[in-house]
Amino acid sequence: MGKFLLRRATSSLIVLSMSVVLVFMSIRILPGDPVLAKLGAATEVTPAALKALREEAGLNRPLLVQLFSWINRALNGDLGVSYFSQFPVTRLVAERIPVTLELTFFIILIAVVFSLILAPLSTLKPGSIVDRVIGYFTSLGLSIPGFVIGIIFILIFSLQLQWLPSRGYVPLSQSVGDNLRLMILPSITGGLTATPYLVRYLRASMLEIKQSPFVRTAEGKGLSNWRILFRHILPNSLVPTLTMLGLIVGYTLSGVVVIEYMFGLPGIGSLAIESSFKRDYVVIQGVALTIISFFILTTFLFDVLCGLVDPRLRLTKEQKSEV
Amino acid sequence: MKFKSRFSFSGFLILLILGVSLAAPILSPYDPNAIAVGEPFAGPSGKHWFGTDDLGRDLLSRILYGGRITILIAISATAIALIIGTLWGLTAGVRRGWIDEFLMRTADATMAIPQILFALVSISAVGASVISLPIVVGILLSPTTARMARSAVVTELASDYVVAATASGIKRSRLIISEVMPNIAPQLLVQLSINAAAAVMLEATLSFIGLGIQPPNASWGTLMLQGYAKIWNTYWFVFFPAAAVTITILAFNAYGERIRVSMDSRRSSI
Repeated sequence: MGKFLLRRATSSLIVLSMSVVLVFMSIRILPGDPVLAKLGAATEVTPAALKALREEAGLNRPLLVQLFSWINRALNGDLGVSYFSQFPVTRLVAERIPVTLELTFFIILIAVVFSLILAPLSTLKPGSIVDRVIGYFTSLGLSIPGFVIGIIFILIFSLQLQWLPSRGYVPLSQSVGDNLRLMILPSITGGLTATPYLVRYLRASMLEIKQSPFVRTAEGKGLSNWRILFRHILPNSLVPTLTMLGLIVGYTLSGVVVIEYMFGLPGIGSLAIESSFKRDYVVIQGVALTIISFFILTTFLFDVLCGLVDPRLRLTKEQKSEV
Repeated sequence: MKFKSRFSFSGFLILLILGVSLAAPILSPYDPNAIAVGEPFAGPSGKHWFGTDDLGRDLLSRILYGGRITILIAISATAIALIIGTLWGLTAGVRRGWIDEFLMRTADATMAIPQILFALVSISAVGASVISLPIVVGILLSPTTARMARSAVVTELASDYVVAATASGIKRSRLIISEVMPNIAPQLLVQLSINAAAAVMLEATLSFIGLGIQPPNASWGTLMLQGYAKIWNTYWFVFFPAAAVTITILAFNAYGERIRVSMDSRRSSI
């Protein structure tokens, strides 16, 4: 287990550091001087004052030095200061991340519940009408942009039925009921976007396990189809699905950007969009770093979880071929 | 080897969408940017099939012309992703060793960067245009294309005919270009179709958060953003562009799926 952990941690760290460098480089390559952006278009500055400011910001040092000092500061929790509001980026992100995490949690919850219902239903009798209908809906779900699902829900539940609000946010600490009411539509929208991926994957791995000898034994023993499905096939197909779930959690974290924006939720996604309109790159950079770290951390945790549940997954390819 | 049927509905739909977008100037009943050709917020009628928007512009004409922008961006982005991705994957798959390791780790790292955030940063810096959008979307789609191309090449290089060809003393570059490439072409076509769907989706998403083509021209995504802003006035405005986007993505995804299924069945029938 120790070796497996070490190997997974190393590869996660490599991917993390490479994406950190990519984020840093992409912001530097793009046109737009951060110092000018900080001053704003209206202020008139002399070239000498500009040069002094650039030196103060450390922009005249070699790129590699800048990169390392930036990483060093980031590791110490300093992601820079917003050009626009002058607040520390860490503070802006910390203020808004609870909203994003809450939304992500609900989205995953909904996606998992739906998948655990739909995938077994469609594997019960492959090729049946139920299976085909679920198949059509998964294909459709993979092709509808998330925000279109959101628009449909707003049309039905906010405009026509007037049951649920379409925009806004109330903190959990203020009113739990209001908070949850406002979370319903965004969570279902995100949940339905993530569900098709999970259903497809879970269905495929359930069908694969259905072929294995122990399932035939169970059938031979005369167990009911439902019992075989839920007691034997489903638990065994959950392990491969865990890896997929880890990826989906990661993608949801970055996918909530649009959902937050369209439902007016003040999470880090909306923060990134607002900052992009103001060209406040430091903030976007901070948000990107936060999401990437969460993404890599969740996929790592889910992989470790899989390794805990299924020791076979801890082996490397070479070790596997020896077995 | 037999074909189930040569006709594919999704393929037909794709051709139809491409044709209609190309023929937009002929098919459009009105100038897409002419205001007050009808009452504002009119529902569908014989005069305006898809209704009108807040400025009384004909929505059918705007969607026909919007399709040209959306499709143009999607096709260019797909082409960019295909070129970068194939080169990336081929190099990794053919060279192997540390080059492979480095290239594939870079692909992993690129995929860990949230697509929307990357697009947010780059497009807000250079501005949205029919040049910048395809480049950004194309870059975003290239790592997945690279992974696919690499795994296809690696599988192909392990097959008997490659060993035989190598033994016959054929040049490596010629082997890749004239033997391996044609054999992975179907897989590339599947990826092409999936990429086109993803490009339409990304373009729509970016336009929807305000990073799309600027007014008065509008892609389907921009039209959706405008329609969403006026959702309390009329729901037709947002409905038609949303339907256009969804049908297009569905057609590309279904077409990709169809090629993959026919590829698998052909392989298993051999």
